[in-house]
Amino acid sequence: MEKIIKRILLALSVTVVVSACTDSKQYETSFCALMDISGTYAGEKANVANIIKAGIVPEMIPGDSLFFVKIDSNSYAEENLVTKLTLDYRPTKANTQKLAIAKTLDKFGKGNAKSRLTDISGALMLCSDYLKATKSGTQVMFVFSDMKEELPEGVVRKFAEDEFDGIDIAAMNVIKLTDDSANPEVYRKRIKNWNQRIVDSGAKSWNTLIDATKIQEFIYNVK
Amino acid sequence: MKSFYFLPEMPGVSIAVWIAASMIFLFFAREPVHKMIQTFSDATAGGLRKLAEWTKETAQAMREKDRKVLLESGVAKIQGEILQEFSKIDMANTKSLAGYPKLQLKLDEKISQLETDYNECGQVTPEAPGWSEVVKSIAKVKGSTSDRIIEGMLGEIHKSAVEGEKKALSELRDISAKRHKILGSMAPVWKRVEKLGKEISSQVDKVMENSRNIEKYMTQYEKISAAEPESIDMLSSKVTKLFIISLIVICVGLVGAFINFNLIALPMSELVPAGVRVAGMAVSEISALVIVALELVLGIFLFEAIGVTHTFPQIANMTRGKRKIILWGCLLGLLFLSSVEASLAILRENLAEAKNALDISLAGGSASVSNEINSRITVIGQAMLGFVLPWILAVIAIPLEMFIEASQHAFAKMYTVFITLLCHLANMIAYLIEGFFNILVHLFDIYIIIPVQIANMISGKQVSAS
Repeated sequence: MEKIIKRILLALSVTVVVSACTDSKQYETSFCALMDISGTYAGEKANVANIIKAGIVPEMIPGDSLFFVKIDSNSYAEENLVTKLTLDYRPTKANTQKLAIAKTLDKFGKGNAKSRLTDISGALMLCSDYLKATKSGTQVMFVFSDMKEELPEGVVRKFAEDEFDGIDIAAMNVIKLTDDSANPEVYRKRIKNWNQRIVDSGAKSWNTLIDATKIQEFIYNVK
Repeated sequence: MKSFYFLPEMPGVSIAVWIAASMIFLFFAREPVHKMIQTFSDATAGGLRKLAEWTKETAQAMREKDRKVLLESGVAKIQGEILQEFSKIDMANTKSLAGYPKLQLKLDEKISQLETDYNECGQVTPEAPGWSEVVKSIAKVKGSTSDRIIEGMLGEIHKSAVEGEKKALSELRDISAKRHKILGSMAPVWKRVEKLGKEISSQVDKVMENSRNIEKYMTQYEKISAAEPESIDMLSSKVTKLFIISLIVICVGLVGAFINFNLIALPMSELVPAGVRVAGMAVSEISALVIVALELVLGIFLFEAIGVTHTFPQIANMTRGKRKIILWGCLLGLLFLSSVEASLAILRENLAEAKNALDISLAGGSASVSNEINSRITVIGQAMLGFVLPWILAVIAIPLEMFIEASQHAFAKMYTVFITLLCHLANMIAYLIEGFFNILVHLFDIYIIIPVQIANMISGKQVSAS
C-alpha cells in the first residue's frame, strides 16, 4: 500500500513539474496594425507609421510579434502584408530588429501606395489569420482607417462567429469624412455598426482610440 | 391560498378552524415534536460542542508538546553553554598548564636560590671567645711585676692579643659586608617570585570566573530541568523574541534578494535567451533566481564551516581540515558569483541605455548620451551593488537558522491561539443554537397552551406541555 501511495505521489510530482514547464507563447503578445491607403486616408501614412513606431514598437518585448497590413481594394491577400516581425529573446538583437522595422515603416510612410476602394473586412480577416497562427496569449489589432468600407464588385466578406476570438481590436486615428462633419450621426452609426460586427464575431473587445498617446495605456490594459 | 378556505366567503372562520385543528394536532404530537427539536439541537449544538472539545484537547496537546520541545531545546542550549564554558576552562587550563612546569621550575629555582642565599647569610664566623678579657688581664699584669723578662713577654702577648682582636674585627666586618651583598642580590629574585605569584593568581581568577559562569548556567539548568512555569515563560519569551528579530532580518534580506534579482534578471535574458517558461517565469528569470539562491546556499555553508551556525551536523562533525576546504570553496564561490553579478549589473546599465536610445530614436528624436558622468556613476554604483549584495545575502544564513529554530515554537503558539479561538467560537455558536431551539420549544408550548389547559380541566390533573 505504501509503495502504491509513493508511486502515485511520484507520478503526481512528475505531472506537476511537466505541466509547470510551458511554452512562453501564452505570455507573449502579437500586434497587427492595419493601414488604410485608400482615398483621403492615404495621406495619413507617414503619421500612422510614426504612431506605430512611437506607440506600439517600444511596447514590444522579446518574443512579441508585429504584422503590418495595408488596406486596399482587395485586402485579403498575402501581398497586403507589408512587413512582419517576431522579436528575438535577446534584448540587444530585439533592439536591432526594432530599428530595422522602424526603417521599413518610414519607407512605407514616405511611399505613394494608394487604392481606389477600401476592403477593411478583408484586412481584418487576414490579420486574424496571422494573429491566430502565432498562438500568442494576447492578440491585438490596431485599425488605422476612416472605417468607411467600399468593397469592389463580387468581393464577399462575411466574418465567422469566432473570426476574432480572443482578439482585442482598436480603431485608431479615425478621421472624419466630409459627410461625417456634416452629420456626426453618420460617423457614430458607422462606428456602432463596426462594433456590432466585430463583437458578434467573437472579439474580446472593440475600442475607438481618438488620442494616439493612449495607445500604451491600451496595450498595458489588454496585456 | 383561497383553496385552503373551507368557507371562501368567510376567510377569518376558515383560518380560525385551521389554527384550532393545528393546535389539536400539535397537542397530540407534542412529544414527538419536542423530541424532534431536541434531536435537532443535539445534532447541531452537540456537534459543535464536540468540535470545541476536540479543539480544546488539541490545543492542550499542542501546548504540552510545545512545552516539552521548549524544555528540551532550553536544556540543550544550556548544556551547550556549559560545555562552552568547560571548553574555555579546558583551553585556559591547557594553555596555563602547558607553561606550568616551566613556571614551577622557575619558581623552584628561585626558591632554592633564595634558600641558598639565606643559608649563606646564616653562616656567621663566631667571635674569638674571651679575647677582650685576656687583653684586659694582661694589660693589668703589665705594670705590677718587677721581672723584666715576664713583663716583656706579657707585653708581646698583649700586643699580639690586640692585633688578633683587630684581625677578628676586620674579618667580621668583611663577612657582614659580604652578607649584605648577598641580601641585596636577593631583592630581584623576590620580585620575580612575586610576579610569578601574580601570574598564577590571574590564571586562577580566570578559572574562578568560568566556574562562576558554570554555576550560573547550572542554576538555570536546574530551574529548566525542574520545569518551573517561570522558566517555561522565560524560554517562551526568549524564543518569541528570537523569532520576531530573525523574521525582521529575513524580511530585510528578502528585500535585498528582490533588488538583487531585479538587478540581474534583465541582463540574464541576454545570456540565457529562451522562450520556455516554468510556472509562468522565463528561463532567464529562473536563472537569475538560481544565482540568488546559490548565494544564499553558499552563505549557509560558509557560516556552517566557520562554526557560526549548526544546521548541518555532518559539517559540524567534520575535521578542521575538511571544514577549511568547504570554507574556501564557499568563499571562492561567493567571490565568483559576486563578480558575475557585478558584470551583469554593468551589462544591465548598457542595455537600459541602449533601450532609451532606441525609444528616443523611434519617437523621432536623435539618440545621444545625455550625461556621460551620471551614466558612469550609475554603472559604478550598480556594479558595486552587484558585488556587495551577494555577500550581504550570504549573512542571512545566521538569522535563517535562528528563524528555523524559533519558528516551531512560534507556529505552535499561533496554531494554539487559532485552535483556542475556534474552540470558543464553536462553544458560542453551540450556545446560541441551544438557546434558539429552547426558544422554539417554548414558542411551541405557547402555541398549544389552550388544548393543554382544556386537557387539565377535563382530567382534573396537571398535563405537562412537554
